[in-house]
Amino acid sequence: MADTLPLAEAKSLVARARAGDFSALEQLYRAYERPVYTLARRLTRNAEDAEDVLQDTFLEVCRSLKQWRGEGNLWGWIRTIAASKALMRYRREKLRQWEPLEDNVPRQAEDVPLQMDLEAAMERLPERSRAVVWLHDVEGYTHEEIAELMGMTTSFSKSQLARAHDRLRRWLGAGAEA
Amino acid sequence: MSEERHGSGEELLALRDGEGSAWTREHVAACAACAAELERLEQVRARLRALPTFTPPRDVWPAVLQGARAERRRSRISAWSGVVAAAAVVVLAFTVLRHSSAVAPEDAALQQAMAESAAMEQMFQSLHPDRRALSGQAAGVVADLEDQLAQVDAALNDTTTWRSDPERVAGLWKQRAGLLSALVDVHQTRATVAGL
Repeated sequence: MADTLPLAEAKSLVARARAGDFSALEQLYRAYERPVYTLARRLTRNAEDAEDVLQDTFLEVCRSLKQWRGEGNLWGWIRTIAASKALMRYRREKLRQWEPLEDNVPRQAEDVPLQMDLEAAMERLPERSRAVVWLHDVEGYTHEEIAELMGMTTSFSKSQLARAHDRLRRWLGAGAEA
Repeated sequence: MSEERHGSGEELLALRDGEGSAWTREHVAACAACAAELERLEQVRARLRALPTFTPPRDVWPAVLQGARAERRRSRISAWSGVVAAAAVVVLAFTVLRHSSAVAPEDAALQQAMAESAAMEQMFQSLHPDRRALSGQAAGVVADLEDQLAQVDAALNDTTTWRSDPERVAGLWKQRAGLLSALVDVHQTRATVAGL
């Protein structure tokens, strides 16, 4: 996604928000709430988790505004905070409820040719795979960046992406070629 | 060029992302199946990017604002600790430099203003303002008072203020005590109304 705010406006709003101007902070929130929420929905399990990520992200933005140097786009900075919050949540859940590293879509289910739409197919992917696909193919993160965000190796990120695309190919069937 | 195998998913994805090996590039140029698979991977990525965005079902801003205000309060208290430390140094310096057992009237005024501010700060914190829910109107008043308090703290944290305008310093401490007193009033009123 292109940055919704021109750099000069973003710098001005950040400066005012740093000085304690809550209306400037709200303008920043309104500019980025949809992209942050969309990213959160793609990386978490449900709307409720995504809402929590949206809130946590902007509280972190508020705390860390001094760290944004005005270099690069503001969206890139906020997006990394949001992704990190979503994935952190995911890792915490994994600690509570252990799941194997390999995802757990039943082999039999994978073999059934399906005609799903892309949205449904993405939803069906294991969370870890879906996160890699979204961060890499849509948000444009490199495998190195994804590995750092998710606390795994670069080669694991690459293999997750390939496995996910293999599944999408089977689930989408001929629809993907249309 | 080898035709013994097709490009793997990882190899084709790397090519799609502009990082493919020379072998993959050459193979895809000559293999219709792999060229079609590469085209399909590009299409899937394009379709993923075209998926609609989501709109949050509820407005989360009020919760963000509440958290941001609590954060500001915490940082203000932290800044205040710095002010107290700076003030202690200045008061000590006055005492040492003057070599006098008698306290000058302006020093006494400064010390009294600082003591009043410290007492008000303590009272304010004892009300646990972070845990207290306020009505919209009260929250607006609190935000305004906290904005003023932040400005006073910033002036007191600036060591040039102490050096260049010592008379103003006692005034700032008095102003600080007054603002804290107003904050205490707002929170105490809320506590009474809410029966807390």
